[in-house]
Amino acid sequence: MSRRELRLNAFHMHSPGHTWAGMWRHPRDASVRYTSLDYWTSLARTAERGLLDGIFLADVFGTYDVYGGNADAALAGAAQAPNADPLLVVPAMALVTSQVGFGVTANLTYEHPYQFARRFSTLDHLTDGRIGWNIVTGYLESGARGMGLPQARAHDTRYEAGEDFLEAAYKLWEGSWEDGAVVHDRAGSVYTRPDKVHRVRHEGPYYRVDARHLAEPSPQRTPVLYQAGTSSRGRAFAARHAECIFLNGHTKAIAGRSVRSIREAARDHGRDPYDILMFLGATVIVAPTRAEALDLRDEYARYLDVQGQLALVSGWTGIDLSTLGPEEALAYVKTNAMQSLVENLTLNTEHRFTVRDFAQFGPLGARAPFIVGAPGEVADELLSWAEEADVDGFNLTRVVVPETLEAFVDLVVPELQDRGVFKTRYREGTLREKLFPGTGARLKPSHPGAGFRRLAA
Amino acid sequence: MPKPIRVNGFAIHSPVHLSPGLWRHPRDRSLSVNTLAYWTDLARLLERGLFETLFIADGLGIHDVYGGSAEAALRRAAQVPKHDPMLLVSAMAAATEHLGFGVTASVSYEPPFTLARRFSTLDHLTEGRIAWNVVTGYSDAAARAVGQPGIAAHDTRYDIADEFLDVVYRLWEESWEDGAVLRDRARGLFADPARIHRIEHAGEHFRMQGIHLVEPSPQRTPFLFQAGASDRGRDFAAAHAEAVFLSDASRTAIAATVADTRARAAARGRDPSDILFFALVTVIVGRTEAEAHDKHRDYLAYVDPEGALALFSGWTGIDLSAYALDDPFPVLRRDNAIASVAESFGRAERRRSIREIVQEGAIGGRGPVLIGSPQQVADGLEAWMDETGIDGFNLSFAVTPEGYGEFIDLVVPELQRRGRYKTAYAPGSLRQKVFGEARRLLPPSHPAARFRRAAPPPAAARGSAPLPAEAPLSYPA
Repeated sequence: MSRRELRLNAFHMHSPGHTWAGMWRHPRDASVRYTSLDYWTSLARTAERGLLDGIFLADVFGTYDVYGGNADAALAGAAQAPNADPLLVVPAMALVTSQVGFGVTANLTYEHPYQFARRFSTLDHLTDGRIGWNIVTGYLESGARGMGLPQARAHDTRYEAGEDFLEAAYKLWEGSWEDGAVVHDRAGSVYTRPDKVHRVRHEGPYYRVDARHLAEPSPQRTPVLYQAGTSSRGRAFAARHAECIFLNGHTKAIAGRSVRSIREAARDHGRDPYDILMFLGATVIVAPTRAEALDLRDEYARYLDVQGQLALVSGWTGIDLSTLGPEEALAYVKTNAMQSLVENLTLNTEHRFTVRDFAQFGPLGARAPFIVGAPGEVADELLSWAEEADVDGFNLTRVVVPETLEAFVDLVVPELQDRGVFKTRYREGTLREKLFPGTGARLKPSHPGAGFRRLAA
Repeated sequence: MPKPIRVNGFAIHSPVHLSPGLWRHPRDRSLSVNTLAYWTDLARLLERGLFETLFIADGLGIHDVYGGSAEAALRRAAQVPKHDPMLLVSAMAAATEHLGFGVTASVSYEPPFTLARRFSTLDHLTEGRIAWNVVTGYSDAAARAVGQPGIAAHDTRYDIADEFLDVVYRLWEESWEDGAVLRDRARGLFADPARIHRIEHAGEHFRMQGIHLVEPSPQRTPFLFQAGASDRGRDFAAAHAEAVFLSDASRTAIAATVADTRARAAARGRDPSDILFFALVTVIVGRTEAEAHDKHRDYLAYVDPEGALALFSGWTGIDLSAYALDDPFPVLRRDNAIASVAESFGRAERRRSIREIVQEGAIGGRGPVLIGSPQQVADGLEAWMDETGIDGFNLSFAVTPEGYGEFIDLVVPELQRRGRYKTAYAPGSLRQKVFGEARRLLPPSHPAARFRRAAPPPAAARGSAPLPAEAPLSYPA
């Protein structure tokens, strides 16, 4: 391939609304059927038909109640509310596919590493090694209150707790059962060699574990690790742990800056900067001709739910946009929500973001590439973003289900294949082997998780 | 007319359930329990046999009482490895239409807010076919695993469970009123915020504030299974359970538990027939009696005694490695294991030896094993039904899936001929299939029902940020 291979995920969520509020109202949109299995199995089949690398499932733990100080706009507009558990749809999608990967968001703040590690090991077994975990720490106060905490952990503390959680999980995934522990010796009636299974004794500042991992080793052991925080603390965390990063950025310069700083931080941690695949969120509206694509964009725009959209942005930033007029600009404040987003929308941008901008069905509202056009134009734009921001690929944002993704698969994928920048068949092996050819199913030796392989002592 | 016989498939997400060593049998598929195909094949098979549910046991600990270590359990795969049961459900649901799924989950290791979300999600995805087997956890190993000093005392665990259920009932029944979800594309209203309520709970063991994250599912509260047979466990079952799972080799003991639990339910104002009882059973059936016994002999050649000792030690909390095999089975009440198991061995008519109990239990655990022709097995099942007042069985196996398959091919038709087994599934959710079409939700006599809101207020209210009737869909350009 002429440049490095482009990577693509379908970005979705177990909710009637995702990042573009209100699209569920579009007459052709199927999102209101999000609780049914065939909604998910057809999404999975479409993604696999398009040879997409993965289905990336967002999750949010809580209800968006910053806007107006209550959850009304989120609930009325289905702005990521209601939302159901994303992990539980994976087995059905795995059943009807054999290649596509699954990157599932799971918030570690409200889990214990012991059960959590078993869930992901179970999924890695059931999917034959196609599971990835998008590590998040949670930013909604409403989620913390749901779990009985007075407030969410402070931003930087969340990452400290995350480090502790991951260490405990690595010990369970990588260190508890040695290779060769499971022998299936029928004659000797030995399933497992007990001397090769080690008890994890983790005494961290946030988590304690005293147990052997309950699951036997799965194809990848540690799931492929995704991470999405690009704040300074988030970057340090990502540089250590992430194998894939999901980020946003409304200009190539802003996205490129985030990418560069993560790659540099990874190098500082002794990792190859290109061992991390960077996925940029992207809204793509494609049609056979540019005129048709523009018409589609205008049609979709009519369904954007302004209050729902502002409820989302208020939740992400922690800033109540209902207190500002449409033309008022967002000012920087240190919040406990998504710090990198607040920084990108205030400090790191030449554009002065107003409330109206957030409700625009376009690049400003997307805070990420917003690409409309004929297949060739879309491919040009994607490649130009990939080149200039140094990203490896894109998380394709859900707009109208299923047609936005189907159009991408039918029109853009062949175009990218013709240009030699997208695969024409899946590689063999686990998700990790597909994403990082030639490196094997397990974490690379330079990854910190690999350091927990020898717990025996 | 005699009661119909209901059957659940009984399983665990582990290569060994109640018949240690049988994973080595050449026809056994236990080594593929970590694949989706094993479970979707099993679900299709059970649906062909018109089973009520596939009931999946679970527990977060490793059996480490025997010899004071996990060695025997690991070597013999005595319920270890053990993977998450909940993650099997959506794939099996995609492969079936009617079969219910009973998933075991403990109230001890997860807050109500997340557990409620998981079960609501599964109830949606299965279109109302999910059941929750409520357990309090009995394993000290599981408590230590999650950093707790040790497991709470037996009766305290049930107090915690009572409070836990109150919180999840409120999330499932109270948070979203009927009619809260509108899906009104024209008006741009997915839901009516005035009909969605924040639950605030501050109790002795749990504290939370929040809107349930998931909109109401077909059953709202999942179908509720429970498995405790101790004194405190019976009270809990009488209050909450829609079905109780019992394991005991003695019909007298089962009959007593059934009668007592039903009486306790009646005392709480519930209809005693609103609780179904399922007894553990393992069936080895052949076309003839001789064939069945041949099969049994063949299975016995694969039994693993050490695996059985590890399981029995774990269940009773008694380290059987400290005794000779011919010693009488020790009568020790270990408060923090399964109290009812210790109780059941303590009151046996004749004190049997460890060897006897463990040999018998090496296939099928603590339940009876019925061996014979289809007619003999059907006779046995009918006798159990009629003498104990149970409603059916949790069917375990020696060899999987043939233990289920042969039951379905040979015993189910015999029971149908006798008019004691359904010939088709009833429509609707699991609760409707079991209790009739009118019962999609828990009945008013159930404690969850007290959290439902009365008459819903008018739909007009939209909270503090009303949209105009004709909401502008975007800011004017």
